[in-house]
Amino acid sequence: MNQKTLQRGNPVSRFRNQLGHFGDVMHDRWMNAPGWQRWIVYIALIVAALLLPSESIGSFMSPDTDWASILFFPIGTFVLLAIGLNVVVGQAGLLDLGFVAFYAVGGYAMALLGTRMGWNFWLIMIVGIGICALSGIILGAPTLRLRGDYLAIVTLGFGEIIRITARNTDEIGGPNGIRGIPHPPSIEGGPVIGDIEIFKYGVLYPQPYYYLLVALAVIVIILVKRWEKSRVGRSWAAIREDEDAAEVMGVPTFRFKMLAFAIGASIGGAMGVLWAAKSISINPNDFQFMLSATILAAVVMGGAGNLPGVILGAFLVAWLPERFRGLQEYRMLIFGAVLVALMIFRPEGLLPSRQRKAELKEGSGGMGTLGAEVPGPESRGEEVASK
Amino acid sequence: MLLEVKDIHVHYGKIAALKGISVEVNEGEIVTLIGANGAGKTTTLKTISGLRGLTSGRIIFDGQDISKMPGHKRVVAGLGQAPEGRGIFPGMTVHDNLLMGAYARTTNSSKELAEAYELFPRLAERRDQAAGTMSGGEQQMLAIGRALMAKPKVLLLDEPSMGLAPLLVQQIFSIIEEINRRGTTVLLVEQNAQQALKLAHRAYVLETGKVVKSAPAAELLDDPDVQAAYLGGGMGHEVPGQAGQAAPEERA
Repeated sequence: MNQKTLQRGNPVSRFRNQLGHFGDVMHDRWMNAPGWQRWIVYIALIVAALLLPSESIGSFMSPDTDWASILFFPIGTFVLLAIGLNVVVGQAGLLDLGFVAFYAVGGYAMALLGTRMGWNFWLIMIVGIGICALSGIILGAPTLRLRGDYLAIVTLGFGEIIRITARNTDEIGGPNGIRGIPHPPSIEGGPVIGDIEIFKYGVLYPQPYYYLLVALAVIVIILVKRWEKSRVGRSWAAIREDEDAAEVMGVPTFRFKMLAFAIGASIGGAMGVLWAAKSISINPNDFQFMLSATILAAVVMGGAGNLPGVILGAFLVAWLPERFRGLQEYRMLIFGAVLVALMIFRPEGLLPSRQRKAELKEGSGGMGTLGAEVPGPESRGEEVASK
Repeated sequence: MLLEVKDIHVHYGKIAALKGISVEVNEGEIVTLIGANGAGKTTTLKTISGLRGLTSGRIIFDGQDISKMPGHKRVVAGLGQAPEGRGIFPGMTVHDNLLMGAYARTTNSSKELAEAYELFPRLAERRDQAAGTMSGGEQQMLAIGRALMAKPKVLLLDEPSMGLAPLLVQQIFSIIEEINRRGTTVLLVEQNAQQALKLAHRAYVLETGKVVKSAPAAELLDDPDVQAAYLGGGMGHEVPGQAGQAAPEERA
């Protein structure tokens, strides 16, 4: 983008263009950075994440609530859920409004297997991920023939079905949910960070769970990033940008959409397992539609399809309402105003990928139009019917 | 016979879009389907490439019944398609788009890549540009080039002239001719009947989901009914609702 286009338009669009230009420059610098520099950044980020729960940071970040607690929920939880949803929405371009369902399946897997069968947390984590992947496939198999907003409606329904079924099934606690969920097994005398043994899982300190979450997030990010760069990621991008074209290029679109659903569900489920293991008790009201909507807002706001953007978006969506808790009911007003301002200044999200920006301009990319594919003046009835 | 479509019926919900279409394509030919909006041309092509399921009838390609084969496997079998309008991947660069064309291949595709850039020098100039930011004509070139990357036996082209300036249409059509000369069979769907009939060896005329005429393309160019309906000629023929009835008899 040259200097001329940066100066064009009213102050708002000028500001937007300059912001976008700055983002591009930073992105290029990152892409051209040698490997060792990137590794330093990665390691610094992990160290920062481990030091994050300290009191000195917390007194600024959340003066009204316990910082370490909100780092686990909502912040950490939202970040991980957003990474999972980003696979479905940002990469494969499938609008999923019922993502909370997989989080719920993971949570209930932990609660049921932990209390009834007495299984160990780690075992349940593995089994839970499997169950969630399976539920993703079960939801996907009949519904992934739909596109755009129709798919969104069905997934929304699925989210509600899971919650309402849990509420009305007395065998799994009905509306009271399940209590007495076991914690992960502790390791005595493990390493200590800031007076807290990081492998000692109890009720008192949230930090050990937070470290567990960081570990889970690092694994998930590595996996997701690798998928994104692989043939799988390219297939998803093709499906997102033009599903029919992808199919006639030889991409088995249905299979890859199922895979996206299964992977997204597994990540949501893993977070559900971890969350249930910390919270001791869960009930169906923990899995409201609002949570799905909030996570989706985080993904879109951060920049769907771009992992750092999505993480940043989830962090802000979780953190802002907590930071302004002192303002009581007004905090939601501010939160809403921030979202609106973001959509005015950065409709493509805070940190969009360049590819997404181009898609957005073209009005394609599944999520680019949030599934609302409006027939243009040149398109004919039959095209619209097939969308 | 390379591709044979036998009496296919296709429905959108309860509405019949195709009511028994039969098309034959021989190796080395350019065959065109012409007809007005809603005649079923695009649906026919989508059914052949596997994007639409058929209610009845059969599609036989290279001696094999592919009626039930999913679309992505038909690519491997040798059917390449450039989808209607802007069927390119807008967020990917031109180069990545072309590489996506070779997605289904297991063999090296550098020869086809070079050929695509040679056929469309414009694409080479725009190699690293996001495809969605190119003009309509360039996007059409990309769509054709990308379809060729899979080294198809039959190339299915859906309205390559749509929305393009006349000069560009000429250029695209001469490239299609060149592609055919190099040995790829072409099945072309067009609204620009004049151009399509000049290019093709044989043609089918579609009307409301049926084939109403099939003949060598040159014959159809002289056919008074076709002239009246699609070529803007045909004085004295009463074809209600068609534009250009008063146009002179002579053809451009």
